[in-house]
Amino acid sequence: MSPQAKKEQNKILILATETCAYPGADSVGQAHSTYPANTYILRVRAPVLFPESFYIDCFKKGISGIIVMSCGEECPYEGAYKALAKRLDSVYKKMKKMEIDIKRLRLTAICTVCNRAFLNEVKQMDQLIREIGPPQLMV
Amino acid sequence: MIPTDIFNFDTLVVGGGIAGLQTALDLGDQGYKVAVVEKDASIGGKMIRLSKVFPTLDCASCITTPKMSAVAHHENITLFTYCELNSLDYDGSGEFQGMKALITQKPRYVDPVKCIGCRQCEYVCPVHIPDMEQGGLSATKAISIPFSNAIPQLPIMDIENCMLCGQCEKACPTNAIDYLQKPEEFLIASKTAVVTTGFDLLPVKDNTQYGNGKIPNVIDSLQMERLLAPHGPYNRVLRPSDGMEPDSIAYVQCAGSRDKSMGVSYCSRVCCMYAIKQAMLLSGSLPLADITIYYMDIRAFGKGYEQFYQNAKAMGIEFIKAKVARIDRGENGSAQVRYELQDGSGTATANHDLVVLSMGMVPGWNPEQPVCPVSKDTDQFITSIKPKISPVLTDMDGLFVAGAAAGPKDIVDTITESGSAAMEAAKFMSKSLMEN
Amino acid sequence: MSEKNQNVGVYICYCGGNISDHVDVEEVRNRVEKMPGVALARTEMFMCSDPGQEMIIEDLKSGKIDRVVVASCAPSLHETTFRDAINRAGSNPFIYEHANIREQVSWVHHGDTATDKASVLIASATAKAKQLKPLDPIRVEAKKHTTIIGGGIAGIKAALDIAQTGIDVTLVEKSPILGGQLNNLDRLAPSGEKASEVLQELLDQVLNHKGITIHTDCKIQDVTGYVGNFSLDIVTKSDNKKLTIDTGAIVMATGSVSYMPFEGEYGFGRHEQVITLKDLIPILKENKSAGSVLKVNGKTIKNMVMIHCVGSRQIPGIHQPKENGQLNEYCSRTCCAAMLNVSNQIRENFPETGIYEMYRDIRTYGRGQEELYNQASKNKVIFMRYEADAQPEIIPSPKPDYPLQVKIKDSLTFNEEMEIPADLVVLATGIEPDDVSGLASMLKLPIGTDKFLLEVHPKLRPVEFPITGVFLAGTCQAPMDTGEACNAAGAAAVKASALLSKGYIELDPFVAEVDTDKCQGHGACVEACLKEGALELIEVNIEGKIHKKARVTAALCLGCGACAAVCPEKAIDINGWALKQYEDMVDAIVSDGFTV
Ligand SMILES: Cc1cc2nc3c(=O)[nH]c(=O)nc-3n(C[C@H](O)[C@H](O)[C@H](O)COP(=O)(O)OP(=O)(O)OC[C@H]3O[C@@H](n4cnc5c(N)ncnc54)[C@H](O)[C@@H]3O)c2cc1C
Repeated sequence: MSPQAKKEQNKILILATETCAYPGADSVGQAHSTYPANTYILRVRAPVLFPESFYIDCFKKGISGIIVMSCGEECPYEGAYKALAKRLDSVYKKMKKMEIDIKRLRLTAICTVCNRAFLNEVKQMDQLIREIGPPQLMV
Repeated sequence: MIPTDIFNFDTLVVGGGIAGLQTALDLGDQGYKVAVVEKDASIGGKMIRLSKVFPTLDCASCITTPKMSAVAHHENITLFTYCELNSLDYDGSGEFQGMKALITQKPRYVDPVKCIGCRQCEYVCPVHIPDMEQGGLSATKAISIPFSNAIPQLPIMDIENCMLCGQCEKACPTNAIDYLQKPEEFLIASKTAVVTTGFDLLPVKDNTQYGNGKIPNVIDSLQMERLLAPHGPYNRVLRPSDGMEPDSIAYVQCAGSRDKSMGVSYCSRVCCMYAIKQAMLLSGSLPLADITIYYMDIRAFGKGYEQFYQNAKAMGIEFIKAKVARIDRGENGSAQVRYELQDGSGTATANHDLVVLSMGMVPGWNPEQPVCPVSKDTDQFITSIKPKISPVLTDMDGLFVAGAAAGPKDIVDTITESGSAAMEAAKFMSKSLMEN
Repeated sequence: MSEKNQNVGVYICYCGGNISDHVDVEEVRNRVEKMPGVALARTEMFMCSDPGQEMIIEDLKSGKIDRVVVASCAPSLHETTFRDAINRAGSNPFIYEHANIREQVSWVHHGDTATDKASVLIASATAKAKQLKPLDPIRVEAKKHTTIIGGGIAGIKAALDIAQTGIDVTLVEKSPILGGQLNNLDRLAPSGEKASEVLQELLDQVLNHKGITIHTDCKIQDVTGYVGNFSLDIVTKSDNKKLTIDTGAIVMATGSVSYMPFEGEYGFGRHEQVITLKDLIPILKENKSAGSVLKVNGKTIKNMVMIHCVGSRQIPGIHQPKENGQLNEYCSRTCCAAMLNVSNQIRENFPETGIYEMYRDIRTYGRGQEELYNQASKNKVIFMRYEADAQPEIIPSPKPDYPLQVKIKDSLTFNEEMEIPADLVVLATGIEPDDVSGLASMLKLPIGTDKFLLEVHPKLRPVEFPITGVFLAGTCQAPMDTGEACNAAGAAAVKASALLSKGYIELDPFVAEVDTDKCQGHGACVEACLKEGALELIEVNIEGKIHKKARVTAALCLGCGACAAVCPEKAIDINGWALKQYEDMVDAIVSDGFTV
């Protein structure tokens, strides 16, 4: 194994829409603001792609927090935002049943220049998972 | 001297604001080769500099950037930014008959081929200058990329303020800095041209009644757009003179519009709506502030606009029907607004921490002879010869106009008019194709 | 889809220090090289430069790699650059994945963490790349023909524009004549062109154009199909003749009607001297009365009152809704200028007829319109302003000289209660959309709360519906004047022309694809699908047995993935953005790049 640095235990997965939130994250980069490095941004077309199991599996695999950064009501896919909100509602129900803190999953809207909102979301999630640690789940 | 570089296109679009971008896209999508010539360092026009846009209140950047990048990556569209248009006229003399435009590429002092847009030059530059992209409210460097989502991502050196310290040259990883760059002239020959040169706000400094721009905390509406933008100069709404959070904000409508003696005689058409929009955004970011709009008539005529206005009233924004006669310096950085009551019962005064002037709109480009022989109307905007069946037609064959260049207009109307101009240009070209 | 092992080539950019100042690029290369599936990993000062691109092209051509990952700046800047390079190498551009290690790593993180994160992001991009397959754009054959529904000025203009670019057009109008509302108008505000002449100029061209077929007096009975291949069944009203039109695109230009005041609204229907502006215009057009005072139906009009905003700008709780419960909260946009135009004509031709205009706001926003307003003041039209909750009242006049009296609280003069005697009261009735609910439900077109047809987005796609290939123009969308309606028509026409000019339509390959072996025909995907018609269950015969299977109509699919989320068999996924790819990416992230 190469001199890989210490393994980051608390990982945050960010699902960022390619039309709004992903360029929003780039805009934070252009401003050279810093934020915790335990964040992994995946570019998605519409987060409605992910089934309930995807979120639960992520927690099982050891992801500590997930932020879904959508376009909100400005979603280019007619009806997708509503379907997404509904989906996350059922994910929350499942999480409660499995005793996963529901604060580990957040849905938010981030625009292409919403730098502060982006930083805020990341900061809050990071603080939370530093307090409560990775989810302890049976795989 | 006649420049040797000649580029051939089907259509030349003059002005890279939202009107120019939409026109270019609608022509490019039909397979026409389009050149967009923009005088600024970036495309995007006024719209990319706005905060959020009425009536949907979506973020201006989120609506503009996709169009900007679609243009930049379009196989049929070529961008010429930071270019001055010296002349544009029909030329029937040579073997090519059509529009000829003489253009100057202004020097950025940066090699556009080598530059990778990394901004190392900007970081090391020791010279701070007012950032006009932020309404002059904050500072930038003497060499900088104009704003974060500018296209192209190329910096410009402000040679007037540069002290030639050479730090940027040292920092540049690609040796792209070129202090000796010269302006370069070239020609664009095209079958058609579309003028989308937009508008400018009347300068406050010319307005004596409103203090010639010398009263602190009296700003224009575009500066307020920057204060409200998510990536604005202070990252929140503060009063420029002392950084105080304003408790009382006033809008002066028709500042220089609908009154020849104050500026222009026509209605500038978008000010009612953007004032209402800004007021709504302000009451979101400063929930305790009092917001007053002094107006003559509220012109909320577009789709969803009246409902937008009624919402603003319901939110507690105060609308006072009155004409503001003058503004004076008040106490502690405030401004004193003197207004005539609409019922004819006299005048009143009020003090506000921050005053926003909804300045009138004037053409962004003045096609004087011999630069371009297209006619202008009494309002100085380009004349539309068929205002009913096709407002984009001008008195020059093959030359069309769209957006605020054909009179003040909001984004929605600008975008449809641009589609219409693209249609007329396409028809003109397919007609001449059939005739030949 | 990754039957055989893919060979991923990973290319990491220094970006001249922008990346390498914070990320140890060579260390990243060392780690990446050892990752499963990576055939080679290279670094370069500027990947976007020609040498950088050449490197990729060489490796592809020599067969060392068949998938590409570039780790550099944001994909918005150079994703297309690298896809083009792959194309030039003769490979399919969709075997490419981007790792954003500048904007999302070196510019926001520093030191070892930056190096670690860059490695993990590349690992996850590699995991996705292994799942990528070559894709081709979807090609849908399209009829070079457009159907325009509605033969008002917008429909006529759109027909002409489209036909002049060489696409055939059928224009369908429900009434026996073309021209719509313009047939009822006289001089158009603000510059006074004659409506009939404006109309005739376009009509002459439309009637003489070989590419345009006109069907008047028609009803549309059914619409089927999708972009490029719609089919409309129409029937003529008089002789019941049926006709089918095959068409590539549809433009809705169904226009609008005038608001009809209810009985008693400002005395309408109760006093014969209360008429609408729409009624007054033809009267003026016919009126040849000489002299200095206007006569209407033989009666001398000494004083007339014009009331603005009738059936427009209505406020819940203040205004009375119609029987159907509808309140028109919007501004009808055209009435202010139209009223002033008429007032000026009357004052200039009949100086002894006095005019009072009672308004809420004068909205002369357009070019040349403010001049109308100024002119009216010069013509001594008297303006009075009322508030929405204190509407003028029309009552029989106590004085014998006048039939009516209008009571108003005028906020321009101390809010004083005034009584204005009147021979005639003219109501500026607003614009209402024509009822197209039948057509809208046939075509699945959205209608807004204001009852006008609703575009996808007022700025991004103002003349389009969510149904690809269906456009809208003119006052079926919102109130507009003639020039604005013609602009909208031009904008819709340019979209239709661009769509159909090639005879086929190329769509992104990022659509849902069904694995028919896995599909059990549950139909959960069909239910979840956000786009009517994009997914359906069909019956297929497999070795003599009938099975239900999901089928995607690629031309309609949005590629959002709502279907993939609900399939219990994981039998449907999005090409290029597959759920499976994301699962692998997460695995790569949790294992810090050491997935097996
Ligand atoms: C304060 C404010 C707020 C607003 N808010 C809204 C809102 O919320 N919603 C809304 O719908 N509208 C709003 N508007 C109106 C909106 O800005 C315009 O509708 C829109 O920008 C017009 O686009 P345009 O492309 O015609 O002109 P512009 O945006 O002015 O673009 C013209 C372009 O042409 C270039 N140019 C000019 N002359 C030349 C030349 N000679 N050679 C080359 N290039 C040239 C300019 O540099 C510019 O890039 C607002 C306006 C203001 C002032």
